[in-house]
Amino acid sequence: MTQLSTSLATQKKLANSMAHFVHYKNNLAVKNVRNLCLSLILMLLVLPTQVQPAQAPIIAAASDLQFALTDIAALFQSQTGQSVKLSFGSSGNFARQIRQGAPFDIYFSADESYVLKLFRDGLTRDPGTLYGTGRVVIFAPHNSTLRVDGSLDGLRRLLTTDQVTRFAIANPEHAPYGRRALELLRHFGLWSEIAQHLVIGENISQAAQFATSTSAQGGIIAYSLALSPKVSTLGSYALIPEKSHSTLRQRMVLLNDAGAVAEQFYAFVQRDDVRAIFRQYGFTLPSSNN
Amino acid sequence: MDWTALWLSLRLSTITILLLLPIGITCGRLLAYRDFRGKGFVEAIVALPLVLPPTVVGYYLLVSFGASSPLGQVWQNIFDHSLVFSFEGLLFASIIFNLPFAIQPMQRGFESIPADIRDAAACCGMSPWTVLTKVELPLAWPGILTAMVLSFAHTLGEFGIVLMVGGSIPGETRTIAISIYDRVQAFDNAAAAQMSALLLVLSLVVIALVFTLSRRAGQSYS
Amino acid sequence: MNGLRLNLSQELPIPLDVDFDCAAGEVLALVGPSGSGKTTILRAIAGTYKPEHGFVSVGGKVWLDAAADLFIPSHNRSVGMVFQSYALFPHMNALENVAAALGHLPRDERNQRALELLDRVNLTGLEKRRPGSLSGGQQQRIAVARALARDPAVLLLDEPFSAVDRATRQRLYREIADLHSSLSMPVVLVTHDLDEAMMLADRVAIVHRGSLLQIGVPSDVVLKPVSAGVARLLDMRNIFNARVVEHDQEHQITYLDWHGLKLEAGLNLKSPCGDDVSWVVPDGYVVLHRRDRPSRGEHENPVPGTIGSLVAIGQVAQLTLIPDHEPSLPIHFSIPFHVASRNGIDVGVEAVVSLLAEGIHTMHLQVDMEE
Repeated sequence: MTQLSTSLATQKKLANSMAHFVHYKNNLAVKNVRNLCLSLILMLLVLPTQVQPAQAPIIAAASDLQFALTDIAALFQSQTGQSVKLSFGSSGNFARQIRQGAPFDIYFSADESYVLKLFRDGLTRDPGTLYGTGRVVIFAPHNSTLRVDGSLDGLRRLLTTDQVTRFAIANPEHAPYGRRALELLRHFGLWSEIAQHLVIGENISQAAQFATSTSAQGGIIAYSLALSPKVSTLGSYALIPEKSHSTLRQRMVLLNDAGAVAEQFYAFVQRDDVRAIFRQYGFTLPSSNN
Repeated sequence: MDWTALWLSLRLSTITILLLLPIGITCGRLLAYRDFRGKGFVEAIVALPLVLPPTVVGYYLLVSFGASSPLGQVWQNIFDHSLVFSFEGLLFASIIFNLPFAIQPMQRGFESIPADIRDAAACCGMSPWTVLTKVELPLAWPGILTAMVLSFAHTLGEFGIVLMVGGSIPGETRTIAISIYDRVQAFDNAAAAQMSALLLVLSLVVIALVFTLSRRAGQSYS
Repeated sequence: MNGLRLNLSQELPIPLDVDFDCAAGEVLALVGPSGSGKTTILRAIAGTYKPEHGFVSVGGKVWLDAAADLFIPSHNRSVGMVFQSYALFPHMNALENVAAALGHLPRDERNQRALELLDRVNLTGLEKRRPGSLSGGQQQRIAVARALARDPAVLLLDEPFSAVDRATRQRLYREIADLHSSLSMPVVLVTHDLDEAMMLADRVAIVHRGSLLQIGVPSDVVLKPVSAGVARLLDMRNIFNARVVEHDQEHQITYLDWHGLKLEAGLNLKSPCGDDVSWVVPDGYVVLHRRDRPSRGEHENPVPGTIGSLVAIGQVAQLTLIPDHEPSLPIHFSIPFHVASRNGIDVGVEAVVSLLAEGIHTMHLQVDMEE
């Protein structure tokens, strides 16, 4: 009898210890989870954001180089193993940001006057290098009522019959292609009538977005963008004669704090085989290197 | 899929809410417990980023710590790079434009604690710090949690201010929201769609998770 | 000096002007209408309110001395307070609520002591329950246990029974009475219910608009209100004005002229002859003459009149008698309902009441009393 009660007592003790152990383990589990969370948070705070090597230079490029420069950067990567970070936007906007201290290494401007002004104000090493001249096209998406042609007759016809609802251009204030659009529309005597129907893009890429969407009848966009299959398949376009607007001399420049890889890329872009890519995207290459 | 941008966004949102936690608790408590002259004005200032267009907030932030401002110049001298167009600049901006999202729900959380209970805690011999940790925080927890979630989600989605103050520097200030914008402009709809879907799912999961937790917290007191 | 010593004065934002003591083991009830400042006084003792001027000391320790810029915050005062809303921590169970006040004990003793306290208030078995799942009476007892947990130097109760139903309240009165005998600290109880105060307190203090109007043992306060204002606060309705005619010191009688009717009251030399005074007689000292039995005794102040109104409240009939000599001043009194019906008492019936001399109490004149 006593043996039985003893073993029962021992069993009870055992059960108690088990319960305590499990409780302890559970507490430990909770503590572990909490510690894990804390470590994750610490990691987030300490680890840097860049997944790429810290030396990758940042390039501010005019939006008309969206496809051309992406291809060139990929080529650079495959040939040298180095990567660059690309940022596309309107040339004027980038010039403003550079003046405010934005950490770019190279600046590709669709209008060389921005580069020259930066040089004059001491923000670049030198006046930079001409890398090409851009062209402008009139674009109409499929099923648009606009017929495209280099003398803008189709547009004129739509305007006189009062059928224009929306027409896209880039912002004339700070996008070089926008300014050229303004100039050429004035040249063809269409500005005053079309002004009220304009949809303004932040940069030439956004203008192209609008121009290719079904909500606009078309727009004035960069030749270099229209040549990309991503855009050309969306509609039709026609080159606009250069004499109808001021030239789009495009200039690139190394900024003051540019590092070694940036210089490498800068030189890479001037190689003949690489400049062929510019030509592919409709840029007229400069005859001399200045 | 721009993993760098995603990681940057998550990092920005997390650090923002970690920094906003003590700020929100302090200010939320102050506004909940004290009545003082000018309190309405303070509450209005806190609520400003809610009603102001992001561009206005962005503009004033640029004025406050752009390259030509005193704060911007001090920063430049110490750290050798500008405050704008940097991750730290985004962090500053993020804390400011999230103030109403952080402070208001926390304030409501602390307001919901009957004053009697705080008095009772003091009468039980609890020091002010103990009252905060053992009584106030557990009871205000749903409000605090809501504040953190709202701030997290809002930071993930903020666009205008981030663009104005940060530019779109890959790896530094190009958050996932901006990356989506960038991909659309590059006619890369596939990437844009992918990232948008991810952001949508992420936001839904975070919000659903937290509201479930907060409901459970509320239920356990009934 | 184990008791409470207090004086507070302030004008804004809440007017206060009180000065009283409460001895160890004594229950002092602060009675007054809502908004009279009673809770503020309690909070000043607890330390959750800081008055402009004042002095509070408990058990020899000074907790507040505004003149010396001394203010000990609540968590450093050995005070136990039961709030009107109980203010239990909703996220803690009963045991944890009580243990919250046991920070002064070493950690391993807290649990045991909390259980003892809950046992003392008859809540054993409910330790793990959250306040939300308990009845009002049970919550109130946790609040009491928590207040006692701190071994407080003073126990403060803020309308502790107002939120509880009548049956529970009766039960709680008995429990508090039991507890009373084992308590060794001053107890200050705030209530708007005079009957409750009379039942539970050793002394009663009448508070109105932050001022202490009268303080004394319950019977003294009720029978000898210090002013017509206090009488009104005590819900006494037979308040009238009269003129002092004569003092008969030999027979310990003061004669009053009440609108032509001569009344005999207890001797009160404070007012000289010829002065106008206010006087009051509690409902219970107005006795209806039985129709079948002649009136007895000499100092009975008979007042003939007509029954003006009869309102049956439960088993009691509340009546007014319209005196023949002054119909504009009804006398309020009450009798058991069965007596009223057996004596054929009803509105319009002629009747006589006696105002017992020992119940008539004269006070300083309040001119508008009879309007």
